[in-house]
Amino acid sequence: MRIAYYPGCTLKTNAKNFEDSAIASAKELGIEMVEPDRWNCCGTVHALVKDDVMHHLAPVRNLIRVEELKEADKVDSKQVVTLCAMCYNTLKRSNQTFNEDADKKQKIHDVMYKEDIKYSGNVEVLHYLEVLREIGWDKVKEAVKKPLDGLKIAPYYGCLLLRPRGIGIDNADNPTIIEDLIEALGGEVVDFAYKQKCCGAYHTVHMKEAVADLSHNVLKYAQDAGADLLITACPLCEYNLGPRQTQIKKQYPIFDSIPVVYFTQLMALAFGLNDGATAFEANKPDPTPLLTERGLME
Amino acid sequence: MENNVEMVTIHVMGKKHGVPNDLTIMKAMEYAGHQFRRGSGCRGGYCGACATLYRVKGSYKLEGALACQKIVEEGMYIAQIPFNPAEKITYDIEKVRPAVNTMVEHYPELSRCLSCNTCTKACPQDIMVMDYVQASLRGDITQAAKLSFDCLTCGLCAVRCPAEIVPYNAATLARRLYAKYIDGPSKHVIDRAAAVEAGEYDEGIKELMEMDKEPLQKLYENRDVNIHG
Amino acid sequence: MADNESGYPAYMAESLKKVVETRAERVGKSFTPMNAQQKTDILKNFHPDWKMDEKRELRVGHNKGAQMPHEVVDIIEAHSIIKAENIDLSNIDYDVDVLIIGAGGAGLSAAILAMDSGIEPDKILIVQKLRLGDANSKMSQGGIQAADHPNDSPTIHYLDVIGGGHYSNKPELVEVMVKDGPEVIKWHEELGVLYDKMEDGSMQLAPGGGTSRRRMHSCKDYTGMEITRVLMDEVINREISYVELTSAVEFIKDDKGQVAGAVLYDMDHDDYKIARAKATILATGGFGRLHIQKFETTNHYGSTGDGIIMAYRAGADLLHLDSTQFHPTGSAYPEQIVGQLCTEKLRARGAQPLNIDGELFVYPLETRDVEASALIRECYGKDKGITTPVGMKGVWLDTPLIDIINGEGTIEREFAAMHRNYTKFGIDIRKEPMLVFPTLHYQNGGVEINVRCETNIPGLYAAGEIVGGIHGKNRLMGNSQLDLYVFGKRAGIAAAERAKTIELGELSLKHLDDYEELLKKEGIETDRKSPILLPEYRGKKTLDHQLKLL
Repeated sequence: MRIAYYPGCTLKTNAKNFEDSAIASAKELGIEMVEPDRWNCCGTVHALVKDDVMHHLAPVRNLIRVEELKEADKVDSKQVVTLCAMCYNTLKRSNQTFNEDADKKQKIHDVMYKEDIKYSGNVEVLHYLEVLREIGWDKVKEAVKKPLDGLKIAPYYGCLLLRPRGIGIDNADNPTIIEDLIEALGGEVVDFAYKQKCCGAYHTVHMKEAVADLSHNVLKYAQDAGADLLITACPLCEYNLGPRQTQIKKQYPIFDSIPVVYFTQLMALAFGLNDGATAFEANKPDPTPLLTERGLME
Repeated sequence: MENNVEMVTIHVMGKKHGVPNDLTIMKAMEYAGHQFRRGSGCRGGYCGACATLYRVKGSYKLEGALACQKIVEEGMYIAQIPFNPAEKITYDIEKVRPAVNTMVEHYPELSRCLSCNTCTKACPQDIMVMDYVQASLRGDITQAAKLSFDCLTCGLCAVRCPAEIVPYNAATLARRLYAKYIDGPSKHVIDRAAAVEAGEYDEGIKELMEMDKEPLQKLYENRDVNIHG
Repeated sequence: MADNESGYPAYMAESLKKVVETRAERVGKSFTPMNAQQKTDILKNFHPDWKMDEKRELRVGHNKGAQMPHEVVDIIEAHSIIKAENIDLSNIDYDVDVLIIGAGGAGLSAAILAMDSGIEPDKILIVQKLRLGDANSKMSQGGIQAADHPNDSPTIHYLDVIGGGHYSNKPELVEVMVKDGPEVIKWHEELGVLYDKMEDGSMQLAPGGGTSRRRMHSCKDYTGMEITRVLMDEVINREISYVELTSAVEFIKDDKGQVAGAVLYDMDHDDYKIARAKATILATGGFGRLHIQKFETTNHYGSTGDGIIMAYRAGADLLHLDSTQFHPTGSAYPEQIVGQLCTEKLRARGAQPLNIDGELFVYPLETRDVEASALIRECYGKDKGITTPVGMKGVWLDTPLIDIINGEGTIEREFAAMHRNYTKFGIDIRKEPMLVFPTLHYQNGGVEINVRCETNIPGLYAAGEIVGGIHGKNRLMGNSQLDLYVFGKRAGIAAAERAKTIELGELSLKHLDDYEELLKKEGIETDRKSPILLPEYRGKKTLDHQLKLL
């Protein structure tokens, strides 16, 4: 299956480990992720722009790129998969606005008069987790060569995968999609109260103390519930929960560090992929001591 | 009509003029009596000195062009932008390296890019400006260098950008970094420079310098021409 | 433009048809180059340099008697635009170690090397008539020569240069230029210039007119612009001081006869400023905008030969100004771009010059003077040119051959500038040929220097197109780009060295009064003033009604 893949800025830079592990694990499942030749930033940050036409130019332009891939027969459908939860949320919401608001649709086309094609509105935006759910957890389980036996994994959703209603990939109050993945990979689910609570998001830029407070709550609840590590689907969450632990330690000296990895990295590990597919070198704190101690890594 | 050439009406900085319809904006302005001090450079589409903004009567769209390359149209309203106010960040090319965050570190305003594509629309060189700004934003210096190569630094993109980015300044950094560190120098050039310094060609050339004209001419006319290898 | 739509007027269709019909058999066809006698004959009969009534003898100064085009003599036999008595030399606006006049390839290189040689950046001043980098250097398209390929050598390069220059070049200048060549390319790469490379990382090299090896390094067809961009960036990064829209109009000397700076004219404010400098580098470029023999030119707006007259009034030696280079392939259609450069690299990559019958009539890579003469002969001697709607004549340059020989996409990649330029005017050079005719291109002669870029006047250095003697009576493609950086660097180094030890005396403009006396003595009566700074292109009506009230 060939599906259009929208990376987003961070996946090419600070979250390259997310992309590498995702593409490798997708291949194991028979999915070829096809990146468009041209794409631009999804526009997440521009949600702060009041002018609500400008806000949509960036995402809609990326959806046009997906349509171009289909026109060129480089992918099998007009679906696009993203890895970053913020990109997912932004692209999907823009797509919805475009299809529901005829006036905005017209304005967007007027401003983008130099694009080669008009957007038809027919692209379906999916998060990778949805694609996995669609393929079926059985199929995912079949690809597992080294089940994550005994590994206690806390699923962290954050905000943008689940909200608002109509955009979220699962029930915001009681999601199960990441739990299903964990079970398919052979790991043990550790449910905890803060799995859908905010990590602090962009406040990390100028209010890192507040972010440290929020993230500390998430991590502490997961630890108290017995988790060995957390998994996440968003580079910003990964940053606030992972590397930010240095700041958290400053504010909460008795805090013990706990690894945070992308769900795709555990997929790559469970699928038995080598050759850098797990890409743990970039993660802070380093998850390899824990995984080695559990016999899941050499 | 003048000398069998049709005339058109244009406005330059608000003043109305009748000019022959086959002149470029630059020559039309001179025809109307303007002497360029700023706003004219190579006159051949190579230097970006004549960056011009204009609208055509009946259209709200603001267009950009090089005055030396664009032929006048009936109803053009023209203004020149001979200078773009923009600070160019200074750096030491020996010390900077191409890394994922290099571009954003030097030009943080790159992250304000809305992907609105106004810069691309303004560019008289058909460069995909937004694409190279986006490439710079995500640290793809190779892509930014290649896409921006034909840039004349005319400034039209910067003048129009709503996020107040100066794309061409960032592009210059990307290209130099790509050429110096990613593409890298050619070995045979370095080797030959060293050989020259070591004096390997001194004797051969001195011999030619001391030759009389006749033998030199003979040598020249019978020299081996090998331009296919 | 639809596939069968032509960018040319209907009456040219028949000739274009012949071009298309003969194309298949012309691919890669060779044409015998001319022998020495044929070359001499064609130059004598058709090269503009040989039209003796377009030249006259210079009547003033120590190069009196030299033959030069009327347009050049006109600016030399002219009054200064300033009068010494009206200039207050006591108020110095810029007091520096090294003054560089002109910010093209030579000026920018000189500035960087002066700083590398130990001069503080704020003690270097570049003055530039237009903007930093506005110069002919920027417009060079095809390439820069340097003998760094394994099957080439500076010795072979030397022979090409001296032969191409008709043996009139100064040997020591050629020696220095060909030997410094590889080092210049190395220096460019260290600064981050983006040269075209082969897959294996080696330089992509092309031949040129009169070169016996592939020696032309290029940056697509934006070679000059790419190098200039990088040098400009470097100058700004190093915070070397420069001031734009400021022309130098006369040198200042001191009571010891040294050049001690220049009188500057602010082009925005119409006032003058005084720059005092321990060493001055003249890098003012060419003279295309003098429109010699009414030719259109490839040169940029400010190329009015200012350096020639400034240097001459100060007592510098000039040489070879009787020799002017006409680039064989300037655009001849459409009218809006007549005279613009169409790089020699087009021919290096396979384009052929054709007459109205679609016939190849000359070896495409003769030296420029011979090639230009051949085109002129074809149009005016044999009457086999194509006439444009405004009465100009030209020949076809069959550019579609380039993609045929080198693969589809070659033109788009390697001639992006040309392709874009012509597309804007409705011609797709991948499908249709260009129409070309020789255009005024390069000042072969100029101020005389030695290998340290010293002129015969202490304190005055020169580099770049303003210099004469390097290329003899005919310059090869890609050697001007080379000489800019070779001599620009040398001038910077030499000027810096001098600035560290020299003392300046009392400033004076007496040499201007002396020159006035010379003009009187020779009985030269004229209203002309020079340097002219900018060409005059305003409409007749405006000029006839000029009033200067403010």
